[in-house]
Amino acid sequence: MCLYAQETVPLVNSTLTGQVTDSLTHEPLIGATVQIEGVTHSVQTDVDGNYSFVTGQKLPYTLIVSFVGYKTRKVVANSSPLNIALASDAALDEVVIVGFGTQKRTDMVGSVTSVKPNDLKVPSSNLTTALAGRVAGVIAYQRSGEPGADNADFFIRGVTTFGYKVDPLILVDNVEVTTTDFARLQVDDIASFSIMKDATATAIYGARGANGVILVTTKEGKEGKVAISLRLENSVSQPTRDLELADPVTYMKLHNEAVLTRDPLGVLPYSDNKIDQTIAGADPYLYPQTDWQQALLKDRTVNQRANLNISGGGAVARYFVSGAINQDNGVLKVPNVSNFNNNINLKSYSLRSNVNINLSKSSELSIRLHGAFDDYNGPIDGATNVYRNIMRTNPVLFAPYYPIQENTRFVKHILFGNYGEASYLNPYADLVKGYKQYSRSNILAQLEFKQDLKVLTEGLSFRALFNTSRNAYFDVQRNYTPFYYQVNGLEENGDYALTLLNEEKGTEYLNYSEGQKTVQSVVYMETALNYNRTFAKKHTLSGLLVGILRNRLTGNAGDLQQSLPYRNLGVSGRFTYAYNSTYFAEFNFGYNGSERFYENKRFGFFPSFGLAWTVSNEPFWEPLKETVSNLRIRGTYGLVGNDDIGDATTRFFYLSNVDMNDADRSATFGTNRNYSRTGVSISRYSNPNISWERSKKANLALELGLFNKVQLTADFFQERRSDILMSRTNVPTSVGLSSTVYANIGEASNRGVDLSVDYATNITADLWLQARGNFTFAKSKYEVYEEPNYNEPWLSHIGQSLTQNWGFIAERLFIDDEEVANSPLQSFGETRGGDLKYKDVNGDGQITDLDKVPLGYPTTPEINYGFGFSLGFKKWDISAFFQGLARESFWINTAATSPFASYTYENETFPAGTLLQNQLLKAYADSHWSEDNQDLYALWPRLSPTHNANNEQTSSWFMRDGAFLRLKQVELGYTLPETTSKKAYIEKLRVYLNATNLALWSKFKLWDVEMAGNGLGYPIQRVFNIGLQATF
Amino acid sequence: MKKLLFFAVFLIINACSYLDVVPDNVATLENAFTMRNTAEKFLFTCYSWLPNFASLENEKVNPAILGGDEFWGTYGVNAQTSWRIARGEQSVSGPLINYWDGGDAAPSMYKAIRDCNIFLENIGQVPDMQEAERQRWIAEVTFLKAYYHFWLIRMYGPIILSDTNLDIDAGIDEVRQSRTPIDSCVNYVVDLLDRARINLPTTITNESSELGRITQPIDLAIKAYVLTWAASPIFNGNTDYATMKNADGTLLIDQTVNNEKWLRALNASKEAIDVAHSAGIGLYDYQPGNLQAGISDTTRIQMSIRNVVAERWNKEVIWADPNSVLTQGWLTPRSWDPDKSNTNQSARYGVPFKVVDLFYTQHGVPIEEDKTWDYANRYGVKKAEYADRYNIANGYTTAVQNFDRENRFYADLGFDGGIWYGQGKYDDNKAWHLEAKNGQYTGIFSTNYNVTGYWPKKMISYENLVEASAYVSEWYPWPVIRLADLYLLYAEAANEYYGPNDESLDYLNKVRQRAGLESVQSSWSNYSSLPDKYTSKEGLRAIVHRERLIELLFEGHRFWDLRRWKEAEIELSKDVVGWSVQKGEINDYYKPVVLFKQTFNKREYLWPIKENSIIVNRNLVQNTGW
Repeated sequence: MCLYAQETVPLVNSTLTGQVTDSLTHEPLIGATVQIEGVTHSVQTDVDGNYSFVTGQKLPYTLIVSFVGYKTRKVVANSSPLNIALASDAALDEVVIVGFGTQKRTDMVGSVTSVKPNDLKVPSSNLTTALAGRVAGVIAYQRSGEPGADNADFFIRGVTTFGYKVDPLILVDNVEVTTTDFARLQVDDIASFSIMKDATATAIYGARGANGVILVTTKEGKEGKVAISLRLENSVSQPTRDLELADPVTYMKLHNEAVLTRDPLGVLPYSDNKIDQTIAGADPYLYPQTDWQQALLKDRTVNQRANLNISGGGAVARYFVSGAINQDNGVLKVPNVSNFNNNINLKSYSLRSNVNINLSKSSELSIRLHGAFDDYNGPIDGATNVYRNIMRTNPVLFAPYYPIQENTRFVKHILFGNYGEASYLNPYADLVKGYKQYSRSNILAQLEFKQDLKVLTEGLSFRALFNTSRNAYFDVQRNYTPFYYQVNGLEENGDYALTLLNEEKGTEYLNYSEGQKTVQSVVYMETALNYNRTFAKKHTLSGLLVGILRNRLTGNAGDLQQSLPYRNLGVSGRFTYAYNSTYFAEFNFGYNGSERFYENKRFGFFPSFGLAWTVSNEPFWEPLKETVSNLRIRGTYGLVGNDDIGDATTRFFYLSNVDMNDADRSATFGTNRNYSRTGVSISRYSNPNISWERSKKANLALELGLFNKVQLTADFFQERRSDILMSRTNVPTSVGLSSTVYANIGEASNRGVDLSVDYATNITADLWLQARGNFTFAKSKYEVYEEPNYNEPWLSHIGQSLTQNWGFIAERLFIDDEEVANSPLQSFGETRGGDLKYKDVNGDGQITDLDKVPLGYPTTPEINYGFGFSLGFKKWDISAFFQGLARESFWINTAATSPFASYTYENETFPAGTLLQNQLLKAYADSHWSEDNQDLYALWPRLSPTHNANNEQTSSWFMRDGAFLRLKQVELGYTLPETTSKKAYIEKLRVYLNATNLALWSKFKLWDVEMAGNGLGYPIQRVFNIGLQATF
Repeated sequence: MKKLLFFAVFLIINACSYLDVVPDNVATLENAFTMRNTAEKFLFTCYSWLPNFASLENEKVNPAILGGDEFWGTYGVNAQTSWRIARGEQSVSGPLINYWDGGDAAPSMYKAIRDCNIFLENIGQVPDMQEAERQRWIAEVTFLKAYYHFWLIRMYGPIILSDTNLDIDAGIDEVRQSRTPIDSCVNYVVDLLDRARINLPTTITNESSELGRITQPIDLAIKAYVLTWAASPIFNGNTDYATMKNADGTLLIDQTVNNEKWLRALNASKEAIDVAHSAGIGLYDYQPGNLQAGISDTTRIQMSIRNVVAERWNKEVIWADPNSVLTQGWLTPRSWDPDKSNTNQSARYGVPFKVVDLFYTQHGVPIEEDKTWDYANRYGVKKAEYADRYNIANGYTTAVQNFDRENRFYADLGFDGGIWYGQGKYDDNKAWHLEAKNGQYTGIFSTNYNVTGYWPKKMISYENLVEASAYVSEWYPWPVIRLADLYLLYAEAANEYYGPNDESLDYLNKVRQRAGLESVQSSWSNYSSLPDKYTSKEGLRAIVHRERLIELLFEGHRFWDLRRWKEAEIELSKDVVGWSVQKGEINDYYKPVVLFKQTFNKREYLWPIKENSIIVNRNLVQNTGW
């Protein structure tokens, strides 16, 4: 429908030239077929989408232009050159990558969403951050913005298990990769990206597909001349929102208040003099007011990305080679006092080489080599910890460091500030004292052989693939031990009187410590027989049989059982039948084994089937075809499994695990305590009955195409997961088991809908518009859950979401101690006026776990949606994309934000005696219960210098709505006119500006709501990016 | 198609072996009993569950140290789980020091018992063992099994007994066990102790590697203690528990007082004392070394009192546990040396007045009974004289209540002006003394400080040193039970069974004599306002109780004894009082302040069973009041 005819003199017996492009993106189409109607001769477009052939015919004549995935057009050629734009027709001819093969979009029975790689382009080095809101059927959100640790969480159709592995299986070129490897994938290398959602699409993965599958293939070279594509990006990144802390004076006043309000005899941490002097802004070292955020963090940082790929080939071989470098920097301040850089500096490189060789007319060999490498240099405990440590450091005790002055002029080291016994955390010293380097690499070599077996029978082919990957990681850290000083007033000459607090402990030289080292190897083999044939033009039959074998071995496993190889073995198959492109049937199966289970539980059979009816292909539909261009109904049902039910330490549930040298079970005897023996402990009892989770999935979908412009797909799904591994909570502790007993007894269900709408139109020849939206709703539910027979129905998990949180209903704050005494007993710790008053739900006169009710929405969102548009006018294009999620609740981490208290995160260790003191959030300072202002609905209850266990119970008080809508991305691009770019030997040059996370709408204001409970960590970033894309 | 078939057959044949990745010889429980060496590890495993009797925090905590009222800390800095019990924060949702389920600073004793049962079931198969050694190990583990049961009984009253292990896959009805009535629980424990005794050694011969392991005197002492508990008001006809019944109506605590239980306790105490004597155990008397030659009698007596705890393996200790070592820094003053003061010993717990008040006057009678002691004016101040020099620094002004007390007062406590013998200075005329007012070298520092002005000197080894930046402390195995304890148990049982009698008084006087006091008869007759007190059963009971509280102070007994006698509701409902330690002037400092209004609810006599355990096992009934 789009045709650009330029004014040129008609020619005879001449060459017709031109370019075939995508009608919407204006990208050249490589390999499109151009044929003159009624003639057998045809040519294909080259890597630039150009074609040229000697016609020997007089203009005008009719051309037939076709390309896979696009609508075939008939075009009347009046002149040359003739540029032809093809409209993509997703619903018609698009080829979709499915498990172990491809299928035409029009023939699909299973539920598979394919994403155009272009839609995944975001100014980030992390592919996972692009998923949220872009793909129907994916629930995704990002909790941290730390470079190298900013993977988004994503789930296909939500989470349907409360077992161990909940995220999807990710395969790149048929090989399983980790989320981090996936995150490092270069969008420019991706040829296709499919998300498999229902039983028919995933059953072929048998015991591993229950959580959905993401399938990515990388680009291959095409026959033609060398094509070079280059992309350069430079972006500025800054936190979307900063935490607001109370000022130092308020901090001191409220700390004093916190002590007094709990204990009238308590020793005040700050004297009136100190407070007065601080208010007066007296000497910054004697009366420090340290803004630790200011001292440690920059406002913004700059990142760069470069990607270059070269492809081409001839009749014998084709190649695609690409290389990428991403440079990500943290927002930490680099002090100029030491010669090493502590800021995060994450360089990721990737190299990919895909070569296809035609061994003969019927056989092809593909060689794929890929390496992805991360080199990281940054703070020892990671940047998230820098943020967390700022939140745990007193702002008025000491300055980050003291200046060199007369009495310290010979000192070579930095005079870091500290107090008392030098056991306070000084985040500045922690940051400056050293650095950590890590290196991660993932190298993959793949060999694939394809043999057409039509000599045996038409439509039969054979394929074998061998892949091996090596994964390695190590880190080292180098640091000195800081010297800490305390200011004890002024000396006579006006210098600060500094006391060295840790003379014995500090060092001026660097120490070194080796970190974690992991190495891993994976070998994967796959052989497949494929059959595909159409009989009598109406009956299309296809069959696929695949055998797979996978072996993964980990070095440094740390324990005998963990060191044993991970193995999978299986046969899978797919059989499809289509009648007249109208009726479709498909049967899939996976027969898989996993090393984790006892002999008789090792293999499982996972069948699925599906039916589809393309109503719009029925003869009777012809009259409606102009309006409803496509109408299709499909449904599937089947069984899929999930064998990843326990972490590395609990992989072999059928074996018991015994520690024969447990130091916790040791005892010592003898006069001088010199006869010790370690003891024996059982960390797992054997259970040969354990096996995988089973998932019964049903899917019903409707596809609708309207006016050839709107495509609508709606999938309704339902899933029932059974045999979920769970702990036997029914065993009383009086049995004395030393480890929890597990069994496959849990069941859960999930239902929902995913919708996508696409709209594309060319308004005028120069103006095109594309809009799309998608919506995913997935609601999970406990169906069978072993729990006690509660007398209180609200405690039961049954019927609740899998990520439902239980907690107390906080009514308000107690008026006074008398009300506490006359209310149901809350025995979690000191409870006084101004502390949280909980509701006695079961009315037994005391607040206990029995009064906990399901609160709010689940902690993973039930709704994820996104919508956006792209608009092009001549050489300009603009696009905007919004993303949001809803039906999610989260909790403010009360323990981590409890002012003045000491908080350590899980799995965190500090040297013994380290003093941590939480900062005071401005919001808490502004709204808290105090004896002067007894606000019963204040944000924070009565202050306390330490944790108040009563107020830190999970309760409705600190529950917040996680819903938000954000302007995820805006992009403005300009493609230089060919005339200009050609002069620089550039085929095409596009320059673009984009920005992510520009605006956010949410009720929650303390930090970026998407971080939910992780608000004190490394903030999510807002990125402004300028990029350039050139093809040569 | 042939290929296909071949392929499938190939896969199936290889499938089984390909997925069989687990080699033989993966460690299993059976490996623990295939040789003596590993079986010994399992023996130590059984021992490893013993509570850390000296532990104040984190794991295997002894609730009896901080859980009562012997120590008080600064709120906000110290939130030791056991101290939270003292503050009345015990609850059913998350019981503190939960030895039933494990949690909140305690492991589950049922896990301990399960390990003991595993040991007893399997030890027979170890091939390379001498039979005598096997029998001794069995006896030790049988003792431990009994002790772990008793540990639970003392906390929870009637418990679920675990004589044999239930299978991992035992049916749900089988695992939902009920509690056994208290008398059967006690009999079960006593039976185990009796069985264990036969093959236990009288004394440890291989001291360098076995000292601390269970012996016959330990077994008998624990038996005496268990039977005393059974006879005591808490479990003997305690009508507070009239409604505590199993689902089938079984009464868990018998509602009639049976005085014969005291006879059983009396006999057990006697037997324990006799066997202890024959094993060479006797009351401890300090023998000065070369450094300490020429010290005064006062100092020597006080050292006898201090060292019966802090001297390793002294001859009075029946059961000392080398796995339980006190963190003395928490109880030590910041300094006794004016020139060296550091905070490595954080001195975070002080001794409240109600405990300080327990100590007799120098005449061996209570301060409130001594006719010669100025009780009314005890909070006033007075300047020490030369005669006081071994107790209070000469010429130093301190509170009246610190004057003219018995030696145990000065041996057990440090205070402002109090002499602190040892710690590097062994001439008692030049000993350290504390100066504890704010601004002085022992005074408050930072947020961790002694809130009452009294330090538990008894628990601090006299050899510990405060260095410029370190605190060097000498460890000692925790005295779980010592001979004086048995003497007092005997005296108590004899009085309960026979009423006032010479035997009771004899044993009381032996303990008093070591503390430098005259006999009960002479002290009361001469100095008490109640001179006939010891001639009535109630009077003598009060004397025995008080003697026990004083003699065994800080050793983890008061907490339990007050519960056993059902006196906790009175004693633990008294205010916690200390000096005004934040003040620097004498007149300000010596003003008593109420630090905490302690209250003891009747239900606290027994631990709460975790709510969740009751929900999981509806056959398990909760302790009354929780």
